[in-house]
Amino acid sequence: MRKGRPFLEIFTYALDEDYRFPILEIFAFLFALGTFVFADFAGGYDRTGETMAYSLVNTLCEFPLMFIFVVLILKNVAYGLGGDLDRGVMQTLFSYPLKRRHILTARLLSGLGIAVLLFLGIQIFGLFLLAPDTLATYSSTVFLTYAAHLCSPALLLAGLLLLLTLRLKRGGLALIIGVILFLAGLIFSGEVTYIAYATDSDVILKVWAVINPNTALQAYYYETGVSLFASESWAPSFSEVLLYLGAGYLIVAVLFIVGYIYFDRRLEI
Amino acid sequence: MSLIQVDDLAKSYGRVVAVDELSLRVEEGSIMGLIGPNGAGKTTTIKIILGLLKPNRGFVRVFDEEPWDNPDIKPKIGVIYERAYFPSHHKVLDYLERVCRIFGKPESRAREVLALTRLEDAHDRTIKALSAGMLQKFAVAHALIKEPRLIIADEPTSNLDPEARRELLDLILQLHRDENVTFLISSHVLPELSRVCESVAIINKGKVWAAGSLTELSEKLGARTTRISTDNPEALGELIRKLEYVNRVEVDSRGVSVGVLAGEDEKLYEDVPRLAKKAEAKIVGIETGTASLEELFRLAVKSTQGEGHR
Repeated sequence: MRKGRPFLEIFTYALDEDYRFPILEIFAFLFALGTFVFADFAGGYDRTGETMAYSLVNTLCEFPLMFIFVVLILKNVAYGLGGDLDRGVMQTLFSYPLKRRHILTARLLSGLGIAVLLFLGIQIFGLFLLAPDTLATYSSTVFLTYAAHLCSPALLLAGLLLLLTLRLKRGGLALIIGVILFLAGLIFSGEVTYIAYATDSDVILKVWAVINPNTALQAYYYETGVSLFASESWAPSFSEVLLYLGAGYLIVAVLFIVGYIYFDRRLEI
Repeated sequence: MSLIQVDDLAKSYGRVVAVDELSLRVEEGSIMGLIGPNGAGKTTTIKIILGLLKPNRGFVRVFDEEPWDNPDIKPKIGVIYERAYFPSHHKVLDYLERVCRIFGKPESRAREVLALTRLEDAHDRTIKALSAGMLQKFAVAHALIKEPRLIIADEPTSNLDPEARRELLDLILQLHRDENVTFLISSHVLPELSRVCESVAIINKGKVWAAGSLTELSEKLGARTTRISTDNPEALGELIRKLEYVNRVEVDSRGVSVGVLAGEDEKLYEDVPRLAKKAEAKIVGIETGTASLEELFRLAVKSTQGEGHR
C-alpha cells in the first residue's frame, strides 16, 4: 500500500466536509466582495510608500473581513474536527492505516491551510487588480502585514480552539467560545492604547504586541499614532517588530504542538 | 496463535472502575463472544483493543503489536460498532470506493461488499438517508472492504431486523469457514451468539468471570440444563419452580427446561416422578445437557452480585 494515498484520501475527505456546497462559494464571494469594498486608499492619502501599503492591507485584515475569515477557520477547526469527535466519525478515521498525527494534519491542512490560501489568494488577487504598483513595490510590507494578522487573531484563535475542541470534544461550544474570544480581543485591541495612556506606561502595549504582533507593526508604521497617548513614544525598530512577530508565532506553534501531542498520545474516544 | 492478548487490564474513568484485572485471549480462526450486562466493561475492553482508549494498567497486544496509534495493524482489523459513525452526506458507493483506495484495494471491491451485505440498491443514496438497519449493514460492508483477518464487532445486530440478523450471522459463519476470519463479537442477543460462537468470555463488573467453550463453561461452572418432555408442561413446571435447588425453569408446549448446578441434577431425577404424579403429567423423556448461554450468563450476574468472581 502506498503510504501517501491514505493521507490524500483523508485530506480530500476533510475538504469535502469543510467546503461542501455552498460554504466555499459563500466565503469566496464574501472575501472577493470585501476586498473591493473595504480596500481603503483614502486612509493612505497622507501617507506614502510602505506606510500606505501597510494601511491598505490593514484595512483588508480588520473587522468585518477578518471576522468572516476567523469564522471560517473556527468552523473548520471547532465544528469540523469537533464534529468528527462529537459524532464518532473520528473512530472510523482511526480505523484507517494512518498515524493519528497524519489524520490531524490532513484535517488542519484542509480546515486551516486551504482557508488561509482562499483568504490570501482572493485578497492578493484583488490587490493585484486594485493596486498592482503597491503590491509589486512593497511586497515585503504586504507580506509582513498579512503575517501579523494571520498570527493573531486567526492562527492564535485556531490553536486555542484546537486545544479546546480536543478537550471538550464538543465543536459547537468551542465555536461559541472562539467567537467570544475574537470579539473580546477586538475590543481589547481598540482599548489597549487608552489603557497605556491611563497607566502612563507602554508596557501593556508591548505585552499585547506579543499576543497580537500587528500592534508592534502599527507602532512601527504609525509612530505618531501611539505617541499621542503614551507618555513616552513607543516606536519599535524593524528588528523589534520581527521579534514580536516571531514571539507571536512561537505562541501559535506552542499551542499547535501541545494540540498535536494531546491528539497523538492522550486523546481517548 | 493468539490474535488478541489482554492481560491484567485496568481502566477507570475517575472513580468509576470500568475494567479491572481483565485477561483475555482470542485465538486465530476462532469466533469468540463477549457477553455481560450493561456497564460490564465490554465496550471499554473493545475500545482498548482497538487503540481508542489507553488502559491504566495491563498488557494489550493485537497481532503481537501495541494497538495505540499503530497504522500497521489497521488493514488486518475490521470494526463494526453498535452505532455506525460515518460522514453522513457522502454517497454509499463513493465512500466505500474511497475506503478501497485508502486500503489499496480495487474500487470494484466496494460493489462486492455491497452485494455481500445486500446493499446494492442503496449504492446511490447518501449515508444519512440510510435507515438504522441499512446503516448497520453499511458498517459491515465498510469493515469487509479491507478483507480483514480479524473482525471486532460491538453489538453488530442491534439495529437489524430478524431476517437481516440471520443474514449477518450466516455471513459471519461463511467468512469464518471460507476465509478463516477470526471474530470477537460483543452482544446481548445470546441465542445469536450461541449460534456462531465457539467460545465466550463472560464479563461482569470489569472482570472476565469465566471463559471457554459452552461445554467447557458448563463443566467448569457446573451448570446443567435438564430437559423434561411431558404432556402437561405447565403444571409440572409450576411444581418444579418450587424446588429450592432449581435456578431456572422454562416451559414450552412440549416440555420443561430446568437449570440446575452439577450434582443437583440427580436430586431432580428423583423428584420429577413424584412431581409428575402430583401434576398428573406423563413423562415422555428426560435428559441432561450443557447449560445454555443464557443460563451461564444468569449465573455470572448472580454470582458477581453476591458470591464474587470465579
